[in-house]
Amino acid sequence: MKYLRRLPLSAMLLTFYSLLFFAFIYAPLALIVTYSFNANPVNMMVWDGFTLDWYRIILGLKDRPVDIVNSSSAYLDSTDQLLEALRNSLIIATSTTTISTVIGTSAAIALARFRFRMRGFYRGLMMMPMTMPDIVLGIGLLIFFVSAGAKLGLTTIIIGHCTFLTSYVFIIVQARMAGLDPALEEASADLGANEWLTFRKVLLPQLMPGIAGGAMLAFIISMDDLVITYFISGTDSTTLPVFIFSMVRRGVKPEINAIATLIILVSIIIAAVGLWLRARRKD
Amino acid sequence: MATPHTRERLFLFGLLTPVTLLLGIFFLLPLAVIVIYSWLMPGLYGGVEWEFYHWNYGRLFGWADGVMEIYEPIYLKILLRSLSLAILTVLLTLVLCYPVAFWISRLSPRWQVVFLFLITLPFFTSLVVRLYAWLLILKPSGVLNSTLLGMGLISEPLEILFTRTAVVIGMAYVMIPFMFMPLFASIGNLDRSLLEASSDLGAGRVQTFFKVMLPQTMPGVIGGSVIVFIPSVGNFVVPDVLGGAKGLMIGNLVEQQFLSARNWPFGSALSVVIMAVVLGVMLIYVTRLVREGRAS
Repeated sequence: MKYLRRLPLSAMLLTFYSLLFFAFIYAPLALIVTYSFNANPVNMMVWDGFTLDWYRIILGLKDRPVDIVNSSSAYLDSTDQLLEALRNSLIIATSTTTISTVIGTSAAIALARFRFRMRGFYRGLMMMPMTMPDIVLGIGLLIFFVSAGAKLGLTTIIIGHCTFLTSYVFIIVQARMAGLDPALEEASADLGANEWLTFRKVLLPQLMPGIAGGAMLAFIISMDDLVITYFISGTDSTTLPVFIFSMVRRGVKPEINAIATLIILVSIIIAAVGLWLRARRKD
Repeated sequence: MATPHTRERLFLFGLLTPVTLLLGIFFLLPLAVIVIYSWLMPGLYGGVEWEFYHWNYGRLFGWADGVMEIYEPIYLKILLRSLSLAILTVLLTLVLCYPVAFWISRLSPRWQVVFLFLITLPFFTSLVVRLYAWLLILKPSGVLNSTLLGMGLISEPLEILFTRTAVVIGMAYVMIPFMFMPLFASIGNLDRSLLEASSDLGAGRVQTFFKVMLPQTMPGVIGGSVIVFIPSVGNFVVPDVLGGAKGLMIGNLVEQQFLSARNWPFGSALSVVIMAVVLGVMLIYVTRLVREGRAS
């Protein structure tokens, strides 16, 4: 209180506003989490007691209430669909992360360590996928795959994700690259190591934090991508965001709260671990 | 035996080939395909006829032949609405984030880390989930209306959901982290002594803000605005979830052309327009950066 009294009014207002701002950011998420435990199946706004039933239902441990099954708007046909979508998302995110990390890192090394004529072109090219609205890239890939006669599915989604995630990895690895001392690599070469050995024993270990950060970002964005996936996924390759999107489109149902809460929980854990690791490295 | 020089070239070639193939085939080529499609004739049952056809743009901008393709001012209106929506989103996020960025910049480094973490955290949560939350808040029987009705501030529910207001709120909400980070980078680097000097010389708060603080933090303001504007223009997810028919945007129009109307050439023409807007903004931004780089 003493501290507060010393502050001028304007500073207090600013603090008050900032705390409101954070409430504005987190209230919607808190709301979903709260609702996911509400027993009322008809009106979520009315608290009807604590329950874990919605979690049991989405995990297939419990059948949904009869009135929901019978209504024409029942849509979460089975837990299998949800798990299938989750499995697809994980396959896509893992493959995409691997591919785009390798390609993005190679490009970052090439642009940082070599001088060549097309350097400016490549620098611009690597920035382009990040500035292109995702809907444009999505329909471009859709037309391209369909005209090329490719079957839409996991493979096309993985390719689609790689095109823009490579740029994200590139940016992060490049930032790390800029902070490195090239003298170490020169020393390695002077001591008789060839390019490959220098790359593996000198450059790669130093780049590792950047590579890991880029890979983490790629994984998270791939798991959450909706727009590009939406256009280039086939009928049997629904991902988690596309699945939830179609659920939300068909109306508000208590099960969505439970799924959304699980997603919030997992993403917060991943982000917290990632940022914590990064903060610890800096110390 | 290979000389060091050719070995180096080979190494460079190996590093660049994958990215060249990936972006050449799956990024540049699809973009070119969109541009080509936008000048082709739509087929009768979806698909295209390989014939030069400029009425796709005519439908949008007004020179349609009136027989095969009809000019509808609604398309142009939707385009302008999307642009104004993107600009509104930029302004709203700017006004929301600026004071908070200033507040955080004056905290101790330890608290700065905590609050910056709190700003970025929602970015890692699913976009659809965050929009779904606003669906719960804004619907007629939702949290906002129950609260306002309960407090007696309104006598009947506000109809916010499925209007443009809902789209702007949702868009601003998901774009906040993108605006915040560049803004904070600028405000965090602000030289505090300049503000003190300004007030010592007798300038009021308002004057100090507009004459000293805002010009000093302009790079962050512009950077954040560009980063928010670009994904806002063609966004179709936010209007889809929160906008309803009244909040239809150019992104939804493109989606319809591809997934329900099956008029790919017209959809491509609309996308080319989105692309042109984005490239235009980027071009102005980059030239500005280059010019400033030279000036300093």
